Amino acid sequence: MSTKMIYLQPLPVRIWHWLNALGIVTLCVSGAQIRFPEYVTIIGSYRSAILLHNTAGIIVSLSFSVWFFYYKMVAGTIEDIYVPKKYDLTAGLFRQIVFYFFAYFFGVPNPHHATPDSKFNPLQKSAYLAIMFVLMPLVGLTGILLMNMGPMREIVLLLGGLKILVALHFLLACSLGAFLFTHVYLATLGSTPLAYFKPMWTGWEKVENHGETHH
Amino acid sequence: MKLAGQLKHQIFILSLFLVLCLGAKEQAQGTAFSYGDSESRNAPCMTCHGEQSKVDSRNYIDPIGFGHTTHAKFGCTTCHDAITADHPDGKPVARTTNCGDCHNEIITQYSASIHGSKAPCSGCHNPHSVFSPAEVSGEQLNKQCAACHTRNRIMATHAKWLPQTGLHLDGIACVTCHSKAENYVITIYIANRQGSDKESKTKLSSFDELSKRTAGDQIHQLIDANRDNYVSLEELRAFNRNPGYKDLYLKAMLTPINPTHSFQTFDNRWDCTFCHASGPEGIMQVSYVVFPEPDGTYRQVAVEKGAVMDALHAVPDFYLMGSTRNNILNKVGLLIIVGGMVMPVGHGFLRFLSRKNRP
Repeated sequence: MSTKMIYLQPLPVRIWHWLNALGIVTLCVSGAQIRFPEYVTIIGSYRSAILLHNTAGIIVSLSFSVWFFYYKMVAGTIEDIYVPKKYDLTAGLFRQIVFYFFAYFFGVPNPHHATPDSKFNPLQKSAYLAIMFVLMPLVGLTGILLMNMGPMREIVLLLGGLKILVALHFLLACSLGAFLFTHVYLATLGSTPLAYFKPMWTGWEKVENHGETHH
Repeated sequence: MKLAGQLKHQIFILSLFLVLCLGAKEQAQGTAFSYGDSESRNAPCMTCHGEQSKVDSRNYIDPIGFGHTTHAKFGCTTCHDAITADHPDGKPVARTTNCGDCHNEIITQYSASIHGSKAPCSGCHNPHSVFSPAEVSGEQLNKQCAACHTRNRIMATHAKWLPQTGLHLDGIACVTCHSKAENYVITIYIANRQGSDKESKTKLSSFDELSKRTAGDQIHQLIDANRDNYVSLEELRAFNRNPGYKDLYLKAMLTPINPTHSFQTFDNRWDCTFCHASGPEGIMQVSYVVFPEPDGTYRQVAVEKGAVMDALHAVPDFYLMGSTRNNILNKVGLLIIVGGMVMPVGHGFLRFLSRKNRP
């Protein structure tokens, strides 16, 4: 079967992705040092870890805001890309789960082929819906409140207090951290282990030349 | 006859011994020793000096505050021993005594500190109103420092290196970092949610304010419901959940036990992990709820161990990250992260086993 190159990831998306990746890894490492300074000392002093965590938090929050603003207000495609459709929930999700946890081991190709209009398979859509619309905003908002505990004291108390906020921020961050392992692993499930990494670096993905659009 | 005389002599000696023993026992229990009736001894002085209308503010002595001090028990003339019969004659009263006569050890310690040359004892302490560190609030401790070190200057100095400066300065007594102490405790105050002044951002509830809520009953029962002089986690929860106390909240401060007078900036206090890492068992994990008393002092009531670490109900406004870190949350967090590794590890293993099935 012939192959062709498609331009899947435009430059702004790639910059956004790697900025987020660097930011989130920095947040995980510095956050671990802030919570467990007895065991994690990767980023020098505790104060450095706090400053780095705050800086990375602001950058990732801004990056998230730009992402939301662009896809919602400018492109208007946020629902198409991230919200699963009826088909995705009734059949697509099941089909994708069967592929990952069964068919893949027998050499069956991925039933979903990414296109610029349909980047994510139904499972990815569901996962990113939870990540981008629940986990990311909540971890960002709790972080912003923690950074501004003085001026936002009354809001924090309304939410149940500082400890509730810290607990929520910590558990949400752990969930994001847990997702990172799955995210990176799933990215190695292409035709070659680096097949899905390349488009996020160069923008171009090599795909089989199908005559029809796959879901 | 001689035998009877000897017996009488022995009975007299034995009686004398018993009387001496009983006397010694009473003294050991603290009931026999007395400073005397200090109130009546000081009364001639307090007739004028205890009345704001009779003396200027510089010479006014608050009778309640003074009556609380050990200095009052010694009596005014112990320190003011040069009062003449002409007093008051408008002339300053000479004083031949000084603080070092009794507090020599503290003077030596203080003189060696960076503060020694900056301010005399009276710069921080009013000898007519002396309280132990446990009897004053963290804010009162800080107010002593604020007499010279203004809030703005303290903020500016600390903001150069201390993240969340205002939050730290509100939650830590200055002497926590700037004096040596054996240990530190988390002191919990009842504060007003409304009416907080901009300067300190919080306002601790006064005795009168809390007394109104108990209709004159003991105010510690606001939290210590069973009045056993011990605050359990359940009692803290009940206080926090009580809709009748919505306008109150628990404010905590890190305060030292027995701060010394060796004032300086200790090197290890620049390191945030001094507080933000879980130290040895017991350090910074002991907490008290303190209740204001009618005489302006505070009374400590011990809090159940571990209450300050309770994530949900203890003190909503206080968190140290180190010693108040919740271990149950740590385990839940670890489980979530391990859960995230299950898929890559499990799938990766099957992927390796089935590698021949794929091109």
